[in-house]
Amino acid sequence: MISKKISESMKGSSWIRAMFEEGERLKKLYGNENIFDFTLGNPITEPPRALKQELIRLITSQEKGMHRYMSNSGYEDVREEIAAFHKERTGIGFTKDHIIMTVGSAGGINVILKAMLDPGDEVIVLNPYFVEFKFYIENHGGIMRLVDTSEDFHLDLDRIKDAINERTKAIIINSPNNPTGVIYSEDELKSLASILKGYSSDGKKIFIISDEAYRKIIYDEIKFPDIVNIYDDTVTIISHSKDLALPGERIGYIAISPKIKDAQTLIDAAIFANRTLGFINAPAIMQRLVKGFQKNSVDIKDYQKKRNAIYNILIESGYETVKPLGAFYIFPKSPIEDDIEFIKYLQKYHILAVPGTGFGKRGYFRLAYCVEMDVIERSASYFKEAIKDIRP
Amino acid sequence: MLVSENIKRQMEETGWIRRMFEEGINMKKIYGDANVFDFSLGNPFIEPPDQLIRAIIDTLNDPVPGMHRYMPNNGYEEVREEIALYLTELYNLPFKSDHVYMTAGSAGGINILLKSMLNSGDEVIVPKPYFMEYRYYVESHGGIIKLVSTDDRFQLDMDKINSAITPKTKAILINSPNNPTGVVYEEEKLKELASLLSEYRKRGHKIYIISDDAYRKLVFDDIKLPNIFKIYDLVISATSHSKDLALPGERIGYIAISPKIKEVKSLVTALMFSSRALGFVNAPALFQRVIGKFQKNSVDILDYQQKRDFVYNTLIEAGFECVKPRGAFYAFPKSPMKDELKFVKIMQEEERILVVPGRGFGKPGYFRIAYCVPFDKIERAAEGFKNIGKRYIKKG
Repeated sequence: MISKKISESMKGSSWIRAMFEEGERLKKLYGNENIFDFTLGNPITEPPRALKQELIRLITSQEKGMHRYMSNSGYEDVREEIAAFHKERTGIGFTKDHIIMTVGSAGGINVILKAMLDPGDEVIVLNPYFVEFKFYIENHGGIMRLVDTSEDFHLDLDRIKDAINERTKAIIINSPNNPTGVIYSEDELKSLASILKGYSSDGKKIFIISDEAYRKIIYDEIKFPDIVNIYDDTVTIISHSKDLALPGERIGYIAISPKIKDAQTLIDAAIFANRTLGFINAPAIMQRLVKGFQKNSVDIKDYQKKRNAIYNILIESGYETVKPLGAFYIFPKSPIEDDIEFIKYLQKYHILAVPGTGFGKRGYFRLAYCVEMDVIERSASYFKEAIKDIRP
Repeated sequence: MLVSENIKRQMEETGWIRRMFEEGINMKKIYGDANVFDFSLGNPFIEPPDQLIRAIIDTLNDPVPGMHRYMPNNGYEEVREEIALYLTELYNLPFKSDHVYMTAGSAGGINILLKSMLNSGDEVIVPKPYFMEYRYYVESHGGIIKLVSTDDRFQLDMDKINSAITPKTKAILINSPNNPTGVVYEEEKLKELASLLSEYRKRGHKIYIISDDAYRKLVFDDIKLPNIFKIYDLVISATSHSKDLALPGERIGYIAISPKIKEVKSLVTALMFSSRALGFVNAPALFQRVIGKFQKNSVDILDYQQKRDFVYNTLIEAGFECVKPRGAFYAFPKSPMKDELKFVKIMQEEERILVVPGRGFGKPGYFRIAYCVPFDKIERAAEGFKNIGKRYIKKG
């Protein structure tokens, strides 16, 4: 009864399930507190207190019609507020029309791809990558072109250039990056922009779809370069899953750059896609809730402390890793070539992690450090022993 | 070039809806909201039950850590258990939590279901008139929609369904109470459908019934909705709380898989994959949490029934032909002019009454009235319907 394509996609990821089940088994055997689970990007952080209070205020108000349908793109006042926030930050003339409220960034990316892609169109994705991108693209008849990043997970412009052809419709950028925690610099984004501009001619253009789900989670006082200021044909995808810790509520939005020529056509198509994919609209109460919190976020310092702790543990233990500058992931090199073997091996030390293979990059593994500090601290000796035993 | 050819085509096909909608907005600006009789939208003005809102407030005042985090893609286990208990009682079949899958409304539910089931080129039969979005849902996942006419009472026509079945037929998507007709499919008809589909099953061809139950609780005249899960084995329903609990903007509903379907496990795994891949991930957490306790509740059905009575009587008195709706909040009268688009424009211009032409539901020559509006709006529109009747309907 199941679609063949789905069965195949599911088969490909059966090892994830096997790993997950082994983790569950270990937790039952040794107790939750004795297992160091770094597998899930499901932060333990709670939403900001002010946001929780606002949610209570909203629901208690029982304002008439507040749970009804609104226009498929979302509430006007919410979109106005968000547009003003983008305008203030970027100096670009965003209006409410450029904002479409969505079911998180996963919903947003699906909507924009559905709006853009003809069958056979190609979308460039940078490797290592969030595997769901592949499914998002294939949902809408597109083909994913994976392009390796450099040694330190930054843009490899030559490779990107090689991957572009006449079917290239867009490139998905995810910075701060899942799984590496890397942030692309303004300079490299400018170089990317100038390459892409070289391919735009009458009616033909390559979009940047900028997945900025982690844009507020950045460390060391780095300034996050706004891609929309660097490249005109940019669609920004925002989620409030991470910055406001609302992943289960499914709220985010698409910001379509006013600098896109004939932007309105793309906006109309995206609104239509939002409806016909069955999202209809982003959850009503969450739209109202995030309206006043565009400048807020969960405690970033707390994540930075955790980043420091896990990074130091890994370096001191002898792992090789790029230092993450954002998000809550770190992507160290596996001490042995076979990362799936290494993950199984780490499980013996009560550490649960995701192999790099799950992100298209063999020989690495991902740790999601959006866990209690205590879990990170207590894991130190286990990381040390694991590498000592495998590389005596 | 800028947008997908497919989307462009679909948008052009429905361009007239947008134009009508804009015309409506324009009229409201000119004449004021109170003087425009808008029956075009299935967006009930009713508020959710008070106890439900109170339950949400209680939950927020006594927060469980992690209550806004991701949960399993199919939803909270305890909520699915509550719903399974309710379904067990309702359908007299042993539903377990695994048979329940929380979704972003029934639109979300149908999409992840079709994505999970359809191979490219598979066909889905839809009786018409029909909710137009079904076409997009089916086409989004590589399927082909096969429209089949209903009879003159908008009931299922078995001969037509039978002739529409091919080796590629994967499912039939039914919606009862029906949008746009308000018709409830009769038990007899559903049994005939079941025996027809069972014939195919005996020959090794499984055809599923996907039952869009969005209006399930909105039935009038003490009618008991036939138990589709008892009538046929291969049934999957998609339910929404948009109408019965008046929460359309919050996007909450669920899929119920018949306990008689053997491949529940693999279907649930596929649904989980599809909800992640399509970007739903999970149904919104906050409303999921309380919805299990409100399965037996619903907005005031008698209120809708009174509106149905008034609308129906007005139409009949004005001289319209109309099948009496037994549920939902729609009536689907025949247009006195063959070209119903022209007639709809006349109603708009002469009486400021906004309705949707039947071609918006694959059935030209009719129009849809959505009467989920305040009662006084219906009352004040009565005069307009009567005037139109006098002017355009030939008596005898």
